[in-house]
Amino acid sequence: MKTVTTFLLACAAAVSLTAPVAPLAAQTPAVTVDGDIKSEKTVNGADGKPAVELVEPASFLPGDRLIFGQNYKNASAEVVTNFVITNPLPEAVRLAPDADPALELSVDGGKNWGKLAALSLKNSDGTSRPATHADVTHVRWVLASIAPGSSGRVAFPVIIR
Amino acid sequence: MTKHARQYGPFASIIATALLASAATPAIAGGVTAGTLIENTATANFDEAGTPRSVDSNKVVVRVDELLDVTVTSLDTGPITTTRSDAVLTFEVTNPGNGSEAFLLTANPAVAGNDFDVTVRGVAIDSNGNGTYDEGVDQILTGPLTTPVLAPDARVTVFVLVTVPDTAADGDTSNVQLTAAAVTGNGAPGTIIAGQGQGGGDAVVGSTGALADARGVLSSAVASVQLVKSVALRDPFGGTSAVPGTTATFTIEARVTGSGSVGNLVVTDAIPAGTTYVPGSLALDAGALTDAADADAGTASNTGGISVTLGNTAAGSTRRVTFDVTVDQ
Repeated sequence: MKTVTTFLLACAAAVSLTAPVAPLAAQTPAVTVDGDIKSEKTVNGADGKPAVELVEPASFLPGDRLIFGQNYKNASAEVVTNFVITNPLPEAVRLAPDADPALELSVDGGKNWGKLAALSLKNSDGTSRPATHADVTHVRWVLASIAPGSSGRVAFPVIIR
Repeated sequence: MTKHARQYGPFASIIATALLASAATPAIAGGVTAGTLIENTATANFDEAGTPRSVDSNKVVVRVDELLDVTVTSLDTGPITTTRSDAVLTFEVTNPGNGSEAFLLTANPAVAGNDFDVTVRGVAIDSNGNGTYDEGVDQILTGPLTTPVLAPDARVTVFVLVTVPDTAADGDTSNVQLTAAAVTGNGAPGTIIAGQGQGGGDAVVGSTGALADARGVLSSAVASVQLVKSVALRDPFGGTSAVPGTTATFTIEARVTGSGSVGNLVVTDAIPAGTTYVPGSLALDAGALTDAADADAGTASNTGGISVTLGNTAAGSTRRVTFDVTVDQ
């Protein structure tokens, strides 16, 4: 357990109102997003088979694999639509090579998106090369809608550079 | 103007590459520097009742811990051949961790299997970084023998100054072991030293155990001198009896054996009582030497005897000094 170096900065969920004209009950957003950083631990499950459990990381060392998770919840009574969670990767980590190949990624700071296999980077000499996990700058998830009261979790593995 | 564009083009692309490299790769082989904060925030965008909204997650912050590791290497290309005197062994201590760390040094001259054990005179840091021990320049450590604080990936050259004992025989070898241990702590890989990492995180012992050693080898090269004296007699009658008037030719062979060399070798002998030195008869390896104290290696007189200075003489060589005396009446 690592409470000293893990600060969960109290939900300072910065609300940025993009619609200034809004006399609505929109002071609190319909959706909250709660992030965490965990590591995976293989344990013996109830059925005796190995199971993977999320635990508080014991340490944070270069090469360590971590799980960046975001838990979202629609606390309102309304359906929200066109829901997109975007997670920029901190510079000190890279996307783990075993990340889900279906993840929607960007390697150019969020300008262009796609699966890793479809992304490429320009070399300095004008040629291009396929993007690698280490090139990823952003991860995002797109959901058509979230029903009132429903919640979910998205997560991706990273490795400390 | 296209000419200008061509000139600046490659320059601009080099800068671009450097910027990309710094963003995409860690600054050091050991990984992200200890104490670095990893701050993760996600942003959600959605439509709420037709109005676009944006909300940030909480910011999760973790601090990168310090990985404690060390390597020690002997920089000597092979055994240091040494006489019964002072010798210097050279090592390199490297910090492969991701935090700035000093290392405690221990020089152990009593390694199992040694033919002889040296005395450690001191441990010095290569202060001027030239890779060679410079007396009076390179700092000899006192008190706890610790290296300067080494940045991640930094290395320092360490000299172990030893004295070879007189008991070391020719061909004997001796190992000297230098151990370096992270000042923050060491132990089994994975050991966590809470709160002691650089930058406020924990310190975690890496795969090296944060303790490493290397051995330097000394090979004793001892040369020894053996003097063999012989005499040949020639009497006035053509025989070999010792009678007044007989000429006695003395030969002194200086044989240097072992390995290495001896320094300042001087062969002296007295003129036997009842005999008289034959002036001008002194020779070294069949080459005549003058009797006077002058530029050549030899002096000789009836009262002072003979003296031939051979100086530095390599093992395996033999020098031959000859002189004549006559038996007195």
